[in-house]
Amino acid sequence: MSNTSTMVTLTIDGIRTEVPEGTLVIEAARQVGIMVPHFCYHPKLEPDANCRMCLVEIEKIPKLQTSCSTRVAEGMVVRSSVPHVESARKSVLELLLGNHPLDCPVCDQGGRCDLQDFSHEYTPTVSRFKELKRVFPKQYLGPVIETQMNRCVSCMRCVRYCDEVMDAQALAAEGRGTITQITHWAGNELECDMCGGCIQICPVGAITSRLSMYDYRPWMLKRTETICSYCGDGCQITVQRKDDQLIEVNSALGAGRNNGDLCVRGYFGYHAAEHPDRVQQPLVRQADGSFAEVTWEEALDRVARQFTRIKATHGSDAIGGLITTRCTNEDLYLFQKFMRVVIGTNQIDSGARYGHINGVRALRRVQGTHRWTIRYEDLAQADAIMLVGTNVNESNPITALHVKQAVKRKGAQLVTLESLLPVRSTVSNITTLSKHHLEVKSGQFSAAILGLVKAVVESNLVQEDVAREAPEFVQTIRTNVAKVSWDAIREQSGLSQTDVETAARTYSQAERAVVLVGREVLRSLGGEGLVTNLMDLQILTGHLRRSGSGLGCLAEGSNDQGAVEMGAVAEYFPGPAGLHDEESQKTLTRTWGQAVPAGAPATLPEVLTRARTGDIKSLFIVGDNPVESLPGDAGVTEALDALEFLVCQDLFLTETAKRAHVVFPACSAMEKDGTFTNTEGHVQSVRQATEPLGESRPDWEMFSALSVLMDHPIEYNEVKEIFKEIRGVIPGYGLLGPASTPPKVDEKTVAQYVTSGFKEDVDQRYTLDASPAAPEGALTLRLVQSLYHSGKYSTRAKGLMEIEGEGRLHVNAREAGRLGIEEGQTVRLANDGGQATVSVKLNDRVPDAVAWFPEHFDEPVRALFSLKVDPHTHVPVWKTAHVTVTKWSSTNRSIEERSRV
Amino acid sequence: MDTQKQTTRLLDAVLFREIWKAMKVTFKHMFHRPMTFQYPREKRTIPDAHRGALGLLRYDNGQERCVGCDLCEAACPSRCIKVISEEDKSLPLQRYATEFYIDITKCVFCGYCVEACPVNALAMTKMYEYSTHDKRTLLFDKERLYEIGEQHLEDAKKYLYAHNQEHDDEESRAYRYHFPQPIEKTEASDS
Ligand code: SF4
Ligand code: SF4
Ligand code: SF4
Ligand code: SF4
Ligand code: SF4
Ligand code: FES
Repeated sequence: MSNTSTMVTLTIDGIRTEVPEGTLVIEAARQVGIMVPHFCYHPKLEPDANCRMCLVEIEKIPKLQTSCSTRVAEGMVVRSSVPHVESARKSVLELLLGNHPLDCPVCDQGGRCDLQDFSHEYTPTVSRFKELKRVFPKQYLGPVIETQMNRCVSCMRCVRYCDEVMDAQALAAEGRGTITQITHWAGNELECDMCGGCIQICPVGAITSRLSMYDYRPWMLKRTETICSYCGDGCQITVQRKDDQLIEVNSALGAGRNNGDLCVRGYFGYHAAEHPDRVQQPLVRQADGSFAEVTWEEALDRVARQFTRIKATHGSDAIGGLITTRCTNEDLYLFQKFMRVVIGTNQIDSGARYGHINGVRALRRVQGTHRWTIRYEDLAQADAIMLVGTNVNESNPITALHVKQAVKRKGAQLVTLESLLPVRSTVSNITTLSKHHLEVKSGQFSAAILGLVKAVVESNLVQEDVAREAPEFVQTIRTNVAKVSWDAIREQSGLSQTDVETAARTYSQAERAVVLVGREVLRSLGGEGLVTNLMDLQILTGHLRRSGSGLGCLAEGSNDQGAVEMGAVAEYFPGPAGLHDEESQKTLTRTWGQAVPAGAPATLPEVLTRARTGDIKSLFIVGDNPVESLPGDAGVTEALDALEFLVCQDLFLTETAKRAHVVFPACSAMEKDGTFTNTEGHVQSVRQATEPLGESRPDWEMFSALSVLMDHPIEYNEVKEIFKEIRGVIPGYGLLGPASTPPKVDEKTVAQYVTSGFKEDVDQRYTLDASPAAPEGALTLRLVQSLYHSGKYSTRAKGLMEIEGEGRLHVNAREAGRLGIEEGQTVRLANDGGQATVSVKLNDRVPDAVAWFPEHFDEPVRALFSLKVDPHTHVPVWKTAHVTVTKWSSTNRSIEERSRV
Repeated sequence: MDTQKQTTRLLDAVLFREIWKAMKVTFKHMFHRPMTFQYPREKRTIPDAHRGALGLLRYDNGQERCVGCDLCEAACPSRCIKVISEEDKSLPLQRYATEFYIDITKCVFCGYCVEACPVNALAMTKMYEYSTHDKRTLLFDKERLYEIGEQHLEDAKKYLYAHNQEHDDEESRAYRYHFPQPIEKTEASDS
């Protein structure tokens, strides 16, 4: 935008400078290296001009002006350090200090406090104010945030951040004048996004973190810039430690793709890595079934010998591998190389199988690139944004912030197809910002997407040139959607024709439109087809090729995208390239010095089936935990118990690792170097922030060590050498810096798709499959992602467990009333699979006849779910069940107990 | 060489004049106050500004002065101080040092730590006799430091006075950091 706007020339303290029209004077000064002192100004927030600290003199204006709210004008002459400006600042400080407790020595902010710095600079040592200082008691805002309002300078940055950026509106100012204090709305516990933003943005020490209170002074901290490993947004974080103790994680303004914002997991979740339960020594199973701690040499030797033996007696394909997407690109690459080269099998899969693969396959098929063709900056420029089954605020909170910004600042029109009610509370809810919220019945996104396409085709929203260039494509879709009636769509998805048509119109008519697709589509049966239908929608409306428009699939794992690109999934070589891609086979053969294996690949469900049938004798599981990430009826434990030899490499002794014969202690992402590829496709550096705990080592070192012991050395001196090799295999990998442009749609692939490619399955994709009706009186129970957790890993983080420490059944008040239950009461869930007793939490964003349960605590309810596997992409789908809910009281229990006796 | 000089030399020799000269100093010193001390039987009076072993002080009501702010640690040029602090659970906001170490073998007795302390919790004393066979006892911990402070309270206060840091508690409160009075913990404030 800045290149189109006119430039304005002005002089600041004698320095002439040119800045775009509309720039604030304080920003213009910053650009020429003059820091005008300020409290209430923050680049992320709208000017508020309440603190008067930033006063400057502007020629021809009689009074001093606040530079944080004055915009530049042609020929302006600004003076920021003349005596009467300085004396004005001095008085402002005097006023603030008049009521400040001056407890800098014990304040956690002391040493990095704006008030302290400016006081040193302007030294108002005497004060003319004689009033008594106010004394507020210290307050805890929930389990992790505390306030000490004596220190507050009433700049309102926290309140404004919480409202303008987070859209949570959890904070407010109370009282007036000197007794103004910041507090939260209701009750004792603060319930909000817990993003830590108010702590970061407070210029003084009035809001601080309870997790590290009084543990440190800022000057003791050593800092490392790395990437958060809790979700696919890939936020840049600054890990701060005192000696080897983790003290704090924050993020600097302007840093990374998150521009200094974090979510609760990034800000408060850092303790997971130093949990006392970490495996710190290699473990080997003894004859009596217990684990013994052994040396690395012994453990590696044992594994190498067993792998060699099994390979020799049963062939390469008797060994399979699974890896988590929390690993770095280097780990993932080396793992698949180890499996393909040293073991000689293609039977590998990763956490991308849980859903991300559906998106990548569809993108590759239609647009020829596996990455987003848009980036966060395009969200800010978009005229319309459509979210389909994302629950983006919970799964990808920073992507959600970009969406919020686009809507609140730039007026983008938001269309949401989500299964949650647009209810406002002090926890932000993306659907409340929506212009057209389509409340899709849980799990019925197929009908909703079909409706969108139908609306576009039938309301003449198809772009003329598309109809001209690909008449057959348009015609086929037209005939297909004509077969489905609006009544059927309403019946299944709960959406009315008019609503869908308005939403479709908003999307189609926008100049730049971005679609974000989330887990409810990606992790559903037929997910690939649904994303393909959304791609069709883009083609029909002409958005596919328009710059600034595009579709993105939200990656949940920190390196889902990287796992696919590194070839750590069944269907791809690094690139990703198909297993039959000759070009890729040639490159790999040349780089690896050996032909790529020809055996059949195996996806996660296939690996488990083959293990159960005895075709696979040994598994190498790196960080993945199928026992706990698949339901009981998936038969994972049977599969693992049937193995001759199981090796796990993990941070913790998970349910899967407990079944292993050898467990290698792995490093957390904070303890190693490497790269992550975020959901947008940005490759970012992960840097070692703390020393590996105990004997744990980075994953790649173990693959390398095993390869040496198995007489097939693939050795590297450091992680950078692996990255270099990746670059050789995937030319230009990781060159996508923040300034670069995203990949373009591949025209040849699109042309091929619209002329013939679509025919393959178009008839199946545009049908409504009869979904199993819920039994009478049953509630739909869904395992959902909680904002405060990520997978099972985050349940080891002290701070996050204090925020949400147990799984509770979320139902809305109407449903609770119908069931006659109240908050905190215990209910019993039951269906054919089993039963569970859980306590209830009221949550008004849960739709009627639905209950949510956080998947991170699914242990007690897992028996209620049963596994379905997508026949095409083998994505395991199991997070919805139908249950009956009954009130559970101690009398019930005694009846139960008596009947058991 | 003339005769007169030779006569003088002869006389000097006969009258033992050199010896008398030397003895004069001796006799003079017989009536002079002694310059040395018979340490350890006799001890010197030490000036108030003397920089001896460090001690931690309490207020008159027995409360620990130290608020665990780590400023002494930051000021120390030989990096021999280590403070570990925490919130006093019974007095929300009150910070105190759970552990406090001074490695006195490394201390150069510069007194910077005393100057850095916002509450005059540290002071130097006139204590200098702490030689030992076990070097480990020279890592003074919190307990030892408070013990020193207690035993040498008067000297410590004189030190602070001599270094212009404190006259008495009341006066010092007026011009040193004044912390907001901690509020007794109640159930309500601990939500
Ligand atoms: S959401 Fe919570 S943590 Fe984030 S800024 Fe608002 S009050 Fe602070
Ligand atoms: S708590 Fe901090 S950010 Fe909020 S108004 Fe007070 S000083 Fe400003
Ligand atoms: S969990 Fe995701 S959004 Fe939150 S800080 Fe980490 S990378 Fe960012
Ligand atoms: S006197 Fe000097 S060297 Fe000794 S502890 Fe204090 S600051 Fe350190
Ligand atoms: S002795 Fe003084 S400077 Fe050192 S930690 Fe205690 S209060 Fe702070
Ligand atoms: S920074 Fe300008 S008035 Fe506060």
